[in-house]
Amino acid sequence: MKKHLEECAQSVLDGDQDKAEELAELTLKDSLPVLEVIEHGFVSGIREVGRLWEDGVLFLPELVMGAEAMKKAMEILQPALEASSEKQEKAGHVIIGTIEGDIHDIGKTLVATMLSANGFEITDLGADVPVADFVDEAEKKNADCIAISALLTTTMPGQKKVIDELENRSIRKKVRVLVGGAPCDEDWAEQIGADGYAGDAVAAVALVKRLLKKG
Amino acid sequence: MEPVIVDNIRIEPDRAEVIRLLGMKEGREEQLTDKVRMELEESISEAKKLIDPKGIYLITAGKDLPGSSIFDHLAKVAFCICTIGPVLENKVTELSESGKLLKAVILDSVGSVCAEATASFIDRIIADKAAEIKLKTSCRASPGYGDWNIKEQRSIFDLLDGSRVGVTLSPSSMMIPRKSVSFAIDISEKPARMRSENSCRNCDMDTCAYRLEERS
Repeated sequence: MKKHLEECAQSVLDGDQDKAEELAELTLKDSLPVLEVIEHGFVSGIREVGRLWEDGVLFLPELVMGAEAMKKAMEILQPALEASSEKQEKAGHVIIGTIEGDIHDIGKTLVATMLSANGFEITDLGADVPVADFVDEAEKKNADCIAISALLTTTMPGQKKVIDELENRSIRKKVRVLVGGAPCDEDWAEQIGADGYAGDAVAAVALVKRLLKKG
Repeated sequence: MEPVIVDNIRIEPDRAEVIRLLGMKEGREEQLTDKVRMELEESISEAKKLIDPKGIYLITAGKDLPGSSIFDHLAKVAFCICTIGPVLENKVTELSESGKLLKAVILDSVGSVCAEATASFIDRIIADKAAEIKLKTSCRASPGYGDWNIKEQRSIFDLLDGSRVGVTLSPSSMMIPRKSVSFAIDISEKPARMRSENSCRNCDMDTCAYRLEERS
């Protein structure tokens, strides 16, 4: 079992989707404990990927490959986990999108992928998302967090409008808000009353975990 | 002078620059995995088929820029809008939406490098024209960088018809296609910030993650 867990972690670290898929299938075939394989195998791998990215050891394509391998394994294991009596602690539901007027997409998609690889449920609204859509979706999905990307100084004010809309609907305290994108920083987040700023996908995962206190 | 359209631009994406944009430190290229290396080569090769680099520029007095006073003190300024066209970024969106994020991320970076290379190509044409009349050119300045407010992107589009090269401006001052560059260049005897192949040398953002390291 220990060897299997190590191989699962290594497949994510290597960004090897085929290997991750093979190991996930082997987990089911050999009736190994799915939750343990996820948490002590694949999740260990994605945590290590995040750590190595932060230390500057991995570069962007390797981070993406790790997240994609993790996602591939979870596509196989998640249905089995849901059908079993084992219960994985819910990481939280995040609504994510790029604010209206802004069609930059790829950075936001990267954050969504890393959050998903780290066990968060994601509703990705895409790019050029109207303020009301973030809040409507957060209400509908009873989301824990809204992540808003803005890549232009002209679209950054939209991030504040989302926060204002949460206030207007009296649900601001129920939903954490994080902001990101090239022109944003900690000061901007504080100025508009967001709960935090993340500069990259790994930082976003750490921030959401901290905001939702998921260790 | 009438606006000049530049097309039939041949771009060879700079592999090292793509790798740098993807966050790999210089000199570590041998550490690329076979998969990333293969994806990189494929993306560079595919990008060449997906780009249509072109631009439009005008050399005029700085005060001719409508709705802006930032260049009023300069006698001769080249203003330019250039692009690699929409096809590459549409492909990036398609890849991203179909879950092929690795390919999307790499192709997107290749596109950014091609857009900058297009700007550099026209920048060199302008520098050559300046040299013919014994003048020099500054480094490129773009709305949204340094002291130049991005809202003045509109001024360049009021001066130059970007649609002639397929570039339009959104209400939020964003150029469409995204892989487009607008810039201004001071043409004079002694430009304040001289033209350099290393554009980062003229930028004040010392801690920028993408800052080019000086090559010795």
